[in-house]
Amino acid sequence: MNNLGKVLNHKKLNDEKVLVAYLVAGDPDLESSLDLMHLLVEAGVDIIELGVPFTDPIAEGPVIQKAHDRALKKNTDFKSIMNLVNKFRISNPQTPIILMGYINTFVTNKKLINMKDNGIDGVLVVDIPGEFNLADYEINNKKIDSISLISPTTSDDRIKTIVDQSSGFIYYVTLRGVTGSSHFDKSEIEFNIKKIKNLSNMPVMAGFGIKTTEDAAVLASYSDGVVIGSSIVDLIDKNSDKKDFESVKEYVTDIKEAISQ
Amino acid sequence: MKSKDLPDKFGFYGEYGGKFVPETLMFALAELEETYKSLRDNNEFQTEFYRDLSQFVGRPSPLYFAKRLTDHYGKASIWLKREDLNHTGAHKINNTVGQILLAKHMGKKRIIAETGAGQHGVATATVAARLGLECHIYMGTEDVRRQSLNVYRMKLLGAEVHAVDSGSATLKDALNEALRDWVTNIESTYYIIGSVTGPHPYPMIVRDFNAVVGKELIDQSKELFGKMPDAILACVGGGSNAMGIFYPFIEYDEVRLIGVEAAGEGLKTGNHAAPLNDGTPGILHGAKSYLMQDESGQVKGTASISAGLDYPGVGPEHSWLKDQNRAQYAAVNDSQVVEAFHLVNKLEGILPALETAHAFAYLEEFMPTTSQDEHIVINVSGRGDKDINTMAEVEGIDL
Ligand SMILES: Cc1ncc(COP(=O)(O)O)c(C=O)c1O
Repeated sequence: MNNLGKVLNHKKLNDEKVLVAYLVAGDPDLESSLDLMHLLVEAGVDIIELGVPFTDPIAEGPVIQKAHDRALKKNTDFKSIMNLVNKFRISNPQTPIILMGYINTFVTNKKLINMKDNGIDGVLVVDIPGEFNLADYEINNKKIDSISLISPTTSDDRIKTIVDQSSGFIYYVTLRGVTGSSHFDKSEIEFNIKKIKNLSNMPVMAGFGIKTTEDAAVLASYSDGVVIGSSIVDLIDKNSDKKDFESVKEYVTDIKEAISQ
Repeated sequence: MKSKDLPDKFGFYGEYGGKFVPETLMFALAELEETYKSLRDNNEFQTEFYRDLSQFVGRPSPLYFAKRLTDHYGKASIWLKREDLNHTGAHKINNTVGQILLAKHMGKKRIIAETGAGQHGVATATVAARLGLECHIYMGTEDVRRQSLNVYRMKLLGAEVHAVDSGSATLKDALNEALRDWVTNIESTYYIIGSVTGPHPYPMIVRDFNAVVGKELIDQSKELFGKMPDAILACVGGGSNAMGIFYPFIEYDEVRLIGVEAAGEGLKTGNHAAPLNDGTPGILHGAKSYLMQDESGQVKGTASISAGLDYPGVGPEHSWLKDQNRAQYAAVNDSQVVEAFHLVNKLEGILPALETAHAFAYLEEFMPTTSQDEHIVINVSGRGDKDINTMAEVEGIDL
């Protein structure tokens, strides 16, 4: 079992909610990303989602788009991201790391993803059609889970197909829109997550647009955990000049507390 | 597999095409495909479409013998398929007239589109105005600047034009932003994509609506010179005008199909917009196709004098036609395009769009390979009023 399986099992056994944190690798630079990954774990993050920057990230709102641009300006590529993961693994062998990004860079760099013991536990490709499996694109590392998105517009039939093609957990997209938008329909979210859980044993994480501790607490009550992205990326950006990320830590600690009650 | 049967049921043309989009869009693509398939063979729908093409667009567009241009080269007869004479001045209106009917049938009240040269934006704003629908056009800030005439036209038509500043601030980024809008307003909104690009079923739908150009050409060729053309030339950005005129001819092996891409500052410089000439297969905007990308899979910046061709990707069916060797794809650089622009103005009294001028520019290389008993056709995809400012700037003229 990989790190992701272990953490998800442990959480389930202890009836605890999962906190997933997203940051873009290489924003503002790779050394900061390494510091931030450790800091996030200290603040209580259970799973790290590392965004792989892409020139055309169509599912992202302005906050994360700009982070992709900043990382690309620093020449962050797949190789340097693998390097970052290796460095992180020296002192942290256990926190699951998921690479999240767009199919063109993933297919182009499949050799790196397929490499043994590369420290990666899961892959989430935003624009791979849910009825296809990563193996269809020759990404077939047995140690790596293939995580899929299910959205409010996914039909019941598709939910079944997607669940069959996925492993690890299901990422439920809580709104119609890009990352960082707002406007939740809470009853719809609750209804849809229940539906997914009826069709699958996998944990379901809720994400896209969660900003406040209140949102996090409510959405965690419907799901197995939450994903926080744009808010963290925004705080990273606002503190990048001094590279003092204490406020990121405080924010994440508050979210952790909110979902743990 | 025969070209007529393409795309397959997953939206692939061989290895190209597909639906590589965020999950939220999948249902909308399925809904669109279903609607289109139920309507495309429906008599009432076809009657409505052809009535609009005839009475609103002004079809059929003429096939015109370019006598002085023919004499200039002294080889094959050159014929012009006059899409520049369509209402709003380009082939783009064929597609928007068709897609707005789909939007109407689906009960969508809000229309969005991306645009590069502004021709597709104008064509979209036009059909939206006609039905009284809310219309939003995304356009890169660089293109807003160089195609300001069309920006004003869109506003006159009641559309809201959103300038897109991200990335290279051109067509690619406008498409990104249109897709983001669509994800956000998925239930209320119909996205009229402007070329044979994007996720399935768009490349198929846009091809089919533009295929009226090729269908007319079959009849006009027989009537005016008594046989099929020996070659058809069209410029290729996303590839809709080329696909529209090529498609009905794919099964006629004797007709050479030649697409002309934008070589910008020159293919060797890397500063161009010619993925079929100097790209590799990759995935952008929902489809696999030839793409300008670097070795780590990032999309490269593009350069072209023409906003409508300034795009790093191309429609998936063109990639398939290239690999099948059924079509050839050439490229001409900006300075050749400027020369051709002048030549066509002076010899034929026609002001071509800079996009279209790419097809004319390739004649310099192509005509010497032809013979006097042959007939070739150029798709004059649009007129060049919108490019007067760019040309004046290039030539240092203060208007
Ligand atoms: C006149 C004209 N021709 C050609 C194009 C290129 O598009 P496509 O390759 O889809 O025909 C454009 C796009 O804006 C255009 O305005």
